[in-house]
Formats: sequence, C-alpha cells, structure tokens
Amino acid sequence: MEDQSSEQTYGLITPSFHLLLKEFPLNQPESREIIDEILHSFRDVPGGLMVILNEIQSKIGYISQPIQEYISLILNIPVSTITGVVSFYSFFTTKPRGDHTIKFCMGTACYVGGTPQLMRKAEQILDIQTGDTTPDNHITMEVCRCVGSCSQAPVVVVDEQLYGRVRPSKVPPLIRDIMKTYEDS
Amino acid sequence: MITITINGKQYDVPEGKTLLRAAQDLGITIPSLCDHPDLTPHGGCRLCDVEVKGLRNPIAACTLPVSANMEVKTETDDLKDARKMILELMLVNYHGPLSIENGKPNYFLKWCEQYDVDIQKKMRKEPKYTVDSDPNPFIRVDLNQCILCTRCIRACAEIQGRFVWGLANRGIENQIIAGSGVPLLQARCESCGACVDYCPTGALSHKPSFGEMNTEKKVQTTCSYCGVGCNFDLNIINDQVIKITPNPNAPVNGKHLCVKGRYGYKFINHPDRLKQPMVREYLLNEGQKNPQEIGPWVEVDWDTALTIVAKKLIQIKQESGSDSIGLLTSAKCTNEENYLMNKLSRQVIGTHNIDHCARLCHSSTVSGLAMSFGSGAMSNTVQDIVDHAESIFIIGSNTTEQHPVIGSKIRQAIIKRKVKLIVADPRKIDIAEFSSIYLRHKAGTDVALINGLMHIILENNWQDQQYIDERCENFEEFRATLAGYTPEIVSSITGISVSELNKTAEMMATHKPMAVFWAMGITQHSTGVLNVLTLANLQMVLGNMGVNGGGVNPLRGQNNVQGACDMGGLPNVFPGYQSVTNQEFINKFDLAWHTKSPTGESDNKLSTKPGLTSTEMIPMAGEGKIRALYIMGENPLVTDPDVNHTRKCLQACDFIVLQEIFPSDTSTFADVLLPGVSFAEKDGTFTNTERRVQMVRQAITPKGSAKPDWEILSNLAKKILNEEQREVAGEFAGWDYKNASEIMEEIGSLTPSYAGINYNRLNNGESLHWPVKDPQHPGTPILHTGSFTRGKGKFHPTEHIDPKEMPDDEFPLLLTTGRVLYHWHAGEMTRRSSELLEVYPGAYIEVHPEDAIKYGIKQNQQITLNSRRGTTKGKALITDRVSPGLVFANFHFPGEQNTNNLTIAALDPVAKIPEYKVCAVKLSVE
Repeated sequence: MEDQSSEQTYGLITPSFHLLLKEFPLNQPESREIIDEILHSFRDVPGGLMVILNEIQSKIGYISQPIQEYISLILNIPVSTITGVVSFYSFFTTKPRGDHTIKFCMGTACYVGGTPQLMRKAEQILDIQTGDTTPDNHITMEVCRCVGSCSQAPVVVVDEQLYGRVRPSKVPPLIRDIMKTYEDS
Repeated sequence: MITITINGKQYDVPEGKTLLRAAQDLGITIPSLCDHPDLTPHGGCRLCDVEVKGLRNPIAACTLPVSANMEVKTETDDLKDARKMILELMLVNYHGPLSIENGKPNYFLKWCEQYDVDIQKKMRKEPKYTVDSDPNPFIRVDLNQCILCTRCIRACAEIQGRFVWGLANRGIENQIIAGSGVPLLQARCESCGACVDYCPTGALSHKPSFGEMNTEKKVQTTCSYCGVGCNFDLNIINDQVIKITPNPNAPVNGKHLCVKGRYGYKFINHPDRLKQPMVREYLLNEGQKNPQEIGPWVEVDWDTALTIVAKKLIQIKQESGSDSIGLLTSAKCTNEENYLMNKLSRQVIGTHNIDHCARLCHSSTVSGLAMSFGSGAMSNTVQDIVDHAESIFIIGSNTTEQHPVIGSKIRQAIIKRKVKLIVADPRKIDIAEFSSIYLRHKAGTDVALINGLMHIILENNWQDQQYIDERCENFEEFRATLAGYTPEIVSSITGISVSELNKTAEMMATHKPMAVFWAMGITQHSTGVLNVLTLANLQMVLGNMGVNGGGVNPLRGQNNVQGACDMGGLPNVFPGYQSVTNQEFINKFDLAWHTKSPTGESDNKLSTKPGLTSTEMIPMAGEGKIRALYIMGENPLVTDPDVNHTRKCLQACDFIVLQEIFPSDTSTFADVLLPGVSFAEKDGTFTNTERRVQMVRQAITPKGSAKPDWEILSNLAKKILNEEQREVAGEFAGWDYKNASEIMEEIGSLTPSYAGINYNRLNNGESLHWPVKDPQHPGTPILHTGSFTRGKGKFHPTEHIDPKEMPDDEFPLLLTTGRVLYHWHAGEMTRRSSELLEVYPGAYIEVHPEDAIKYGIKQNQQITLNSRRGTTKGKALITDRVSPGLVFANFHFPGEQNTNNLTIAALDPVAKIPEYKVCAVKLSVE
C-alpha cells in the first residue's frame, strides 16, 4: 500500500477505505465511478460476484488486488474468496492487458502439438514473458485453457480470431500483422 | 435409529449422521484427510470413498448421510487401489520430511504407509514453493506439504470466523493463499493457530515450537491471560513448558485458543524471572530510607526477607495504626492466594484496606449490578448465549481482541445461527464488521444512547410489561426520567441519527432474547455506575434477565478478577461479598479467624471500618497517610491513571513490598521484592468471567528460590503472628496449609457461594459456576432465574453527564485507551514472549486520516500526545477505526510510551473507578 512503510508489522488493521482509495485505479474518479456503479447494480443479485467480476474485467480491463480488496469491503465477502475466483478463470486478469492479446491454448492436444515452442518463439520476438504485456502496451501474451478446436491443434487466438495448425515459423508473421496496424496509423 | 450394514455386519446408527461419522463412532476406520468432526464436510480428498450397494461408483462417506438398510463396504481391493492412486497423485506435488511424527502427526504420510505407497519414489523430488514462506512468527507455512484438503480454510472461517485462507489458481497450480495472496498478518490473520491444529500434514505448523517432539508430560490447566478461562495442556520437557496444546475436554473453549493463550508462554522461562528474595541495602544496615535514592538491591534468603517485612509492618502498625497499611491483591493469582491476602489484611494486619485491579476495570459493574439485581457478575454463560440468543448487543467491549475466544464464539453464532449483532463503540472495532447495526456514538454518551433506545421502546410499547410488573420495581419513577431522552435530543448528544436509533430499538425489541456484553468501554468512566445501571434497566425493560440467551454479561478482564473479588479482595466485603459493616458477618469472621495473646488478656477484633480503594490508597501514600503498601502481582506504575502522580506517591511511601514474578516498573520504588511463581508452577483455582471455577495445576518446579504465592503469604502471616505473640484460637485462624486444596476447604466453609466447591469435584471434571451451595449442588450457570438475587430487579433512573475532561482549544483531541490482541495489560508477560513482541513491538497511536492530514502525519511516524498531566510517545497508525477528533492508544508499554501518563484520575463517585476512556489531549509531531 502506498503510504504504508515496510516496517508496518501490526497486521490487525481493519481494512481501511482511505488507504484503499489512494490506490490506482480507485484513485481515478472515472474508474471508481464505473466500479461503484457495477457494485451498486449487482450487489444484491444472487451469485452477483461473478457478474460483478465480469463487468469489471470488461469495463476496467483487469481486476487488480486493490479492486479485489475494494469489492471485498463493499460486498462483505472475504478477499480470499474473490482472489480464488479471479485466479481460477483465465478470463480474469489482475494486470491491464495490452491493446491486443495473443492467447496460447494449453489444452492437451495443443500442448502436445507444440504450444510451448510457439510460446518460446513469441517470447523471443516480443522480449516478454507469457502473462506480461509489451512496454508499448500493444501486445499481451497469455496462456488459455482448451478453446474446443482440438482438431486444429496447436491453436493460437489473437484477440477474437482463431489460428489453427500454427507452426513456429508462423509466429513472426502473426506478430508482424498486429504491429503493422500501428505503423499504418 | 436406523439399521445399516457395514462390511457385512449390521449396526443401529442415529439418523442424520454422515456415514463417515457413524462409522467412526462405531470404531470402524475409514481413511479420510479433508474431513474433521468440528468442520463442515467437504468431500474433497476422496480418500473416504466407499462402495454402497446399488450405487454404480464409490462415493465419499464424509458427505453421504446414512439411510436405512444401506449396505456399505469400506475396504475392498478396488477401494484400496483407488486410495493408493489418490495418495500417489497427491504426492506429485508433495515434498517434505518423511517422518510421520514431526512435532505433530502427519496423517497424509500415515495413510500413504497404510496403503503401501512408495513415498520416497512418488514424492516430488525438490520443493516447488519456498519452505517456511510466511513471516508470521507463530505459523510456519510450507506449501510443499499441502495436499489441498482445505481444512485450514474451513477452520479459519468456521472456528475463528476470520476467512483468511482461500484457494487460488487451478489445476496443478492450485494452492492455498492468505487474503489476496499476501503474508498472513497482512491478510488480517489473528494468529490463533486453529488452521495449524486442523492441518493433517506438515504444511502448517506452530513456529515457536517447531521441531519439538516427545513431550514428557501434559498437564491440563487454566490460561492465565484473560477472563475467558480457556483450558489447555502445558507440554513439558526437562521441567520446561515447550508448547501449549488444546485439550478437547476444555469446558469453555474446547479445542480453540487465541494467540496469547497458545503462543504467549515464553515468559514462564524468561531470564528476567525473579528467583531470589531481594531487599534494599538500607534495610540490612537498619538505616533510613532515602526516597530520592532508594539504594541497591541485595539478594537475601527467605527468612531474612520475611523477617524484615514482618518487623517493618508491625512497626508501622504500632506507630500509625493498622489502617496506615494498604494491600493490593492480584487478579492474576489464584482464589486461594487472594483469600489468603484478604485474611492477611483483615486478620493479621487488621485493616480492610485491601483492593485490586477490579477497582480499575469492573468496580462500576459490581456496584451497579448489585444495586439493580443484587449480584455483580456475568449472569449467563457464553455457550448459553451462543446457543440461545436471538440478538447480541456489544457496547464498550472490543471482544475479538480482548476476549478472543468469546469473540470467535460470537462470530460463530452470527455465521451459523444468523444471530443479529448490534455494536456500539466510538471505535469501529473488528467485530463491528459482523454487526447488523453499528453505532459509532461519541465517547462518554452511553447513558444518553441507552436511555434514548429505551425511550423509543416504551413509546412503541415494545417493553415486556408482564415481566416488569412481576419481577421489577421502581418502574414508573424510571420511566419519568426517560421523557427527556427523545430521539432528537439523544441524536444531538450521541451523534447517532434518529433513524438509526429507531432501527436499533426495533431490532432489540423484535429479536429476543438479547444478551448484552460490555467491558471497559462502559465501566471506565466517571459515570461508570450510571452506565451499568442503564444497561441493567434496558435488560429489565426487555425482559431479558434470568432467561437463556439473555442477561447482563460484563466480560472480566483478568484470568481471575472474578475470583479476586469473590475472595474478599475488596475493601468493603469479606469473601463471598459479605459486608464488613454487617455485624453478623463481622462476628462470623471474628470467630473463625480469632487470635489472642498467650496470656489471654488481649483479643484481636476485626475492624468495622470499610477500607480504602486502590485509587484512594495510592494518593494517600503520597500524603503519608498510607505508610506501607503490600503489592502482590500488580503494576500500578503502568496501569494507574495519571502515572506521573502515582510515581510521586509510591516514591513517598515509607515501605513497599512487591510480590512479583518480574522486576516490573513498580519494583523501582519497592523496598522488598519477593519472588512469586507463574501459573505453571503452582496449584490453585481461577474463577472465570462466567463465575466458573477451574483448576490451575502445577506443571513445573518453581524457578530458583521462588515460591508459590500462597506459601509466601502463609509464611509471612505466621511470622507476623509469632512476632506479635498472637496465638491461633479460631477454627480457621491458623496458617498451616499443606497444599492449596486445604485453603479451598477453608474458603468453602466461610463463603456460602463457594460452599460446595472442592478439588475432588473439580479434578473429577465437574465445571462449577458459583453459587455452589453444598457439595451436591450442581452450580448456577444462569443467575436471576425466577427471581433476582435481591428479590425484585430495581430500576434506577439515570441521567447523562458529560465526561470530566472534554476537548477544548488547548487540548483539542479526545483520547480513549484500551488494549490490543497481541499484548496483555502492563505487558510484563507478553513483552517477554518474543513472538508477541515481534508482531506488536511498540506503542501505536490510532489517528483518523483527516486528523493525519491536518497534522501532516505519515503512517508509522513518531508522534507525541500531551495532556494536562503528561506526555506519551508512539507511532501513528492512520486508520478510520477511530473517528475524526478521536485518538486511541494502548497501555502495554511502560515509560514514555505509556498512555497512562495522559489519563485522568477522575473517579466515579460510587465505584471510585477512574475515567480511562475519556480525556483531552493535543498531538504534535517530532
């Protein structure tokens, strides 16, 4: 937390709104308004947590630790439960994604079909680890679960577009295509 | 009962049980890892899968309810194979020592061996996670040994009510996490250790005793921290307490403990322990005391020390009279020792000047409830409330930090039975998170708040009129005073909105029975007695007294403060609250404790003048009217209000004897230091907050020459009687006790409420709540059933009065004081338990974020508080727990960090309790 120095050892502090509201993105009025609106709309809906997380992921783009703590305080749900849900579904991210996402399917067929090699290749080209985003914020690399196209393994999903039977040699042109959209503009 | 068949044999089992539990009760072993009788069934590990006739696949016994004519096989070859495979799959991610008994049993490895799993071969070859990955000093986390049974998650949620542990990620990356994946303490772990107790492997273990094995013996005893009265086992190796383990037979807490009870034992063997009697050098040279320079300590033998004490006390008694001597007895010591202090004071020294820390905590409760009901103790038991209350009202008690096990039981009631909780506290304490209504009223406006609620209740005719008419008196006079407490007026005094007041009153009226809990937030005010009377009125109006799940429940702070009061450690009563001004009782004790001179010419008579309270004795010591103080196990130099004044008073006192286990701050001004022993080194009884009398059992031998306090007291008494040439004449006048049990027999003979209590009954496992009228009497868990102790419950009209010192221009902030989870009172014990000190190393002062901005304070910055009486220093803890304009500090640290440098010695006129909870301060930054 921002103004909590490292020597803070006393853990038994009631989670404090004032500390949380200093954290990004809760300290941005626009973001906070969106989150509050979502929480307000769905807090009393049975099973509302999933809806809330979905909405926040879509509208904010990620569900970071401060957002999780904030949801926990407002909904009175243990933060460990919220983190459990967020970390279970690969759809949820705790960090902002880049403009484009490349997802590498780690389903059994794709894994056997060579997804790890595809990932190594992409990591080399983009100079990031899977799960991270390029410093220019253009591309995020992610692992995903089976997308149901096992017959075309190995599969890579760029944003919403699915590419099947991808060979390592196909990775550089795929990335180049994405980068091109920036050069054009 | 229904009939089921297990492995070909028929059994009758009760309906509603799970198959696993039914089998366990029949002595049939079905392997299981994720199941525990105390926790909700989970069905996760699949080790308890059994074959049930008519079902296609094996099914988990832990989640399967028994049904009539069920036919079950628990150990077929198929099941054995399946179990072996399940265990092998768990081993894929498992890495740890192979010993089954590594400080605590590893049930996972036990089942692996049972099902012929080659652990060495199947186990993961190197650790996947950091071993000992969490900095929490109490709980050692090794995720490599975690099999994801989720017992820790359920224990934290269902036993402690904290929800720290959770399950994150999925598949092979599945792991337990604290909070959002942060260190335990940051995830608001209270370090109760429940998760460790329920962990079936070595994934979670107790860090302070990690690796300790082969306990030589276990001794069941009663905890010496708070008044909850938890029982546990001291584990002994080489005459030392090496760890504390829960005892399932503990009547109050069962297997649950708190951080102090479970881990705060290292003080017992701390090098600071006093091991030899000591006197100031001048006493050996028969010189004069120089109050400015008291001189060095000299170690002496017991005889020398006690002779000096005896002679000095006799000298002062002869010169200035018995009433120039004061005694402070100890709520940390046993009933037996408190009884002896009372006898020493009244019989041997001849004064009723005896008091103890109850004066500073619940004297207003004792006075107030005695006026209303005739008995000043908690009326119901905790279990009764947890089982039967429909609502719980907590006012002025930080229950989860001060009485952690009761706090977690209240949380359990809320989680499991959906009991409504109303919390009223100027600080948004932790339990407020579990409340249906939280009222943040201004400090010192309790009377106005409760009167306002009763006003609304009566306006709406929500009172229990039949109860009031039949069981109470003085209702109309009381009702008349409520007229002035309209919601609007009350709202302006307390800061609570009218709608909140209405909502609260309605909830109280519609959720009966309601139990009220309170502690220092009610009592430590100059209006302490008024606060208590008002709460008593509330419970009578609602008809909540003398019923299951209701009652008035003042939570006593010290382990034996209830007992110390019961044993006559008060200036106005003999043991059992028999008044020292009542001729009948004086005659009774005169006869029992009678001594006379050998020639018979002079008889010693008990004084008929009530004694002084501790808050009177100490100032009078400063004025020279009290010349000697005998202090057992108290530390007024840290705990008294306005300690700068206390310091001057103690310095001016002619002669101070301190019987202690540590050289506390107060020892600076003591002339003689007598080494007593801790609770682990003596026998006796403690009476908990529920009036439950429980055994304290010796587990180790006393350190050095230290002696059990009861032995010290009886040796001293014998010395004084001998020096004064007084002979024992009365039946109970003698001081030759062979053991603590004999003292309890004497107590029982003289104290009607303890008449039926003896060590035989207690050692046989009986749990006795006084009054216990005779050896057959079962005790009285709930007071005031049928009728009140005093006959009719009396309504007392009460009016709101402002605290003595309110913030002003010069001292603009209101200071309120209290304690924290990780420390205990003056901190002599907890500051010597290294892990507790590690978590909470120094004084923190809670400041609201708005005030922090106003004063430009950063988190953890060193700040100073000043009041008209003194200064204290501490680190800022910026939190919205406190409201703007309110600061909170604790009194666990001595010297310049001590909050009692600031507090005011404004006393309640009846109970003489000081107003710790409100004074005016100013804040500055260094």
